[in-house]
Amino acid sequence: MTALARRLLRARIAGRSLGELALVYGLLAVVLIETLYPLIWVLSGSLKTKEEVIANVWGLPSGFVWQNYTEAWRVAGMGERILNSVIVTGTALAILVVAATPAAYAVSRLAFRGRTVVLAVVVAAMLVPPQVMAIPLFMTARDLGLINSRIGVALIHAASNLPLSVFILRSFFLSLPIDLEDAARVDGAGRFQSLWLIMLPLIRPGIALVMIFGFIEIWNDFFLAFLLLRDPALQTIPLGLVAFFQQYGSMWNLYFAALTITTLPVIVVFVLMQRQFIAGLTAGAVKA
Amino acid sequence: MAGSAFFRVRRDSDGLAAMLMLAPAALLFGLFVLWPFFRGLWLSLTRWDGFSAPIFIGAGNYLKLFRDGLFLGALENNAIFVVLILIFKNALGLGLAILLDRALFLRGPIRAAVFIPVTLSFAATGLLWSWIYNPIFGLLNAALDLFGLSGLKQSWLGDADIALYSIVVVDIWKWLGFHAVIYLAGLQTIPHELYEAAKIDGAGAWTRFRHVTLPMMMPVVLINVILGLSGAFVRNFDIVQVLTQGGPNHATEVVMTLMVKTAFQDGNMGYASAMGYALFLIVALTCVLLLGLMRRTKVAL
Repeated sequence: MTALARRLLRARIAGRSLGELALVYGLLAVVLIETLYPLIWVLSGSLKTKEEVIANVWGLPSGFVWQNYTEAWRVAGMGERILNSVIVTGTALAILVVAATPAAYAVSRLAFRGRTVVLAVVVAAMLVPPQVMAIPLFMTARDLGLINSRIGVALIHAASNLPLSVFILRSFFLSLPIDLEDAARVDGAGRFQSLWLIMLPLIRPGIALVMIFGFIEIWNDFFLAFLLLRDPALQTIPLGLVAFFQQYGSMWNLYFAALTITTLPVIVVFVLMQRQFIAGLTAGAVKA
Repeated sequence: MAGSAFFRVRRDSDGLAAMLMLAPAALLFGLFVLWPFFRGLWLSLTRWDGFSAPIFIGAGNYLKLFRDGLFLGALENNAIFVVLILIFKNALGLGLAILLDRALFLRGPIRAAVFIPVTLSFAATGLLWSWIYNPIFGLLNAALDLFGLSGLKQSWLGDADIALYSIVVVDIWKWLGFHAVIYLAGLQTIPHELYEAAKIDGAGAWTRFRHVTLPMMMPVVLINVILGLSGAFVRNFDIVQVLTQGGPNHATEVVMTLMVKTAFQDGNMGYASAMGYALFLIVALTCVLLLGLMRRTKVAL
């Protein structure tokens, strides 16, 4: 309470009236309700019976129907969908980091002919949204036998996230002092050793940032999976959710449970990591 | 001579290492970005069903786009999408950021809370809102009933006149926190002395906003506009597909959904490719125009 009082005092000194503060918090409350209420509504709907969802739109559930969850898990094949999403996202992120890190190191620290060309291609590629070449991407995947292949979808995700990731990692490499590496080279370390032993531990925050961005993008992707994963057994969570909704549109309570199962873990991870997440996001955007 | 030779050796001293380090990225990029990009460009100049041999027709597909009512309608919907989203995401995002900037306590938790929709998938967001909009027991119509505004109840996604706007609202709901967080970070880089100086000169709240906050925030506005622009043009497939699939009767059709239909329902791969590249050209041109425009207004401010 004293901390609060001190802050209020500081507000008075900064020339802000309590009326202004009330207005600020009043408006913020409206934004919070508008943002969070729909999510709470889904959670509460997931615990109602099918009839109660319609009869009692607003209120809290009268009793907790936990079997909605087991039922939704079974009917929507959640286990399978989650496994598919984990395979696609995990493989894509692994490929992305393995390909982007040495490439970013090369364009930021190595002297070689064509470096400016490579850099120009990276920047140009960031401006071409992969969605506009959906048709040729589909054709290429078909020719390579990658339709209905989770690894194929992962490869394409890794490739389309590559330019931005190289760009982000490059800025991290450039921020490291060059002396560090010179010292290692005097000691006889080659370029690969220098990257592996000295630079890699130092750019871990950059790799984390690339992986966070990539995770949100790939885990939530609907478009590419929609194009390439036609076999229901291979579908990822977003595809599975939509298919479940279209098939069992009247089982609202199950459907709310499925939505909760898939979104709650992401929200929990975000809330736990939000400090790093928002710091990384704003550093990238405001500096650029 | 010796000097330049030496320089060249120095410049390419890591040639082999660089080649090895770039190889995995180059392979991935070449196979799944570069090759499809040029292949699609070629496909867009052909008539092709996806199976038989493509027939070269030059600019035929692109000329056809100008006369295709469905495509022009989708493009118009895209334009409405873009304009509304740019205005509302930026105005509301900046407004929310100013509120957060003035909040003395609980700023962190509130910022995290408004960011939550950003982390949700479009599929989840779209399905959530298709329930909010449900005409029979959706949250929105129930809310209107609750406030005694039953006359305003609508079939939010079923009415061709309002379905597009309903989708725009969802997109703004999902991304508001994202733009607000970036604006907040920008606001916090403005030195406090500028406001103090303006206050001493007798500037009121609006004058301070107009002549200190806004000019200082222009680079951040630019980032938000560019991010919102490409998003509104090409990343709207998911949300439209989940909410309305382009209906009712193409009222919410955007270029991306039309492109997928043209390719996979009509089997017209060449024409669909041309749609993709035409959209890309339009986005690129709009970005360039906007950048020029904003640079000019920056001077005016």
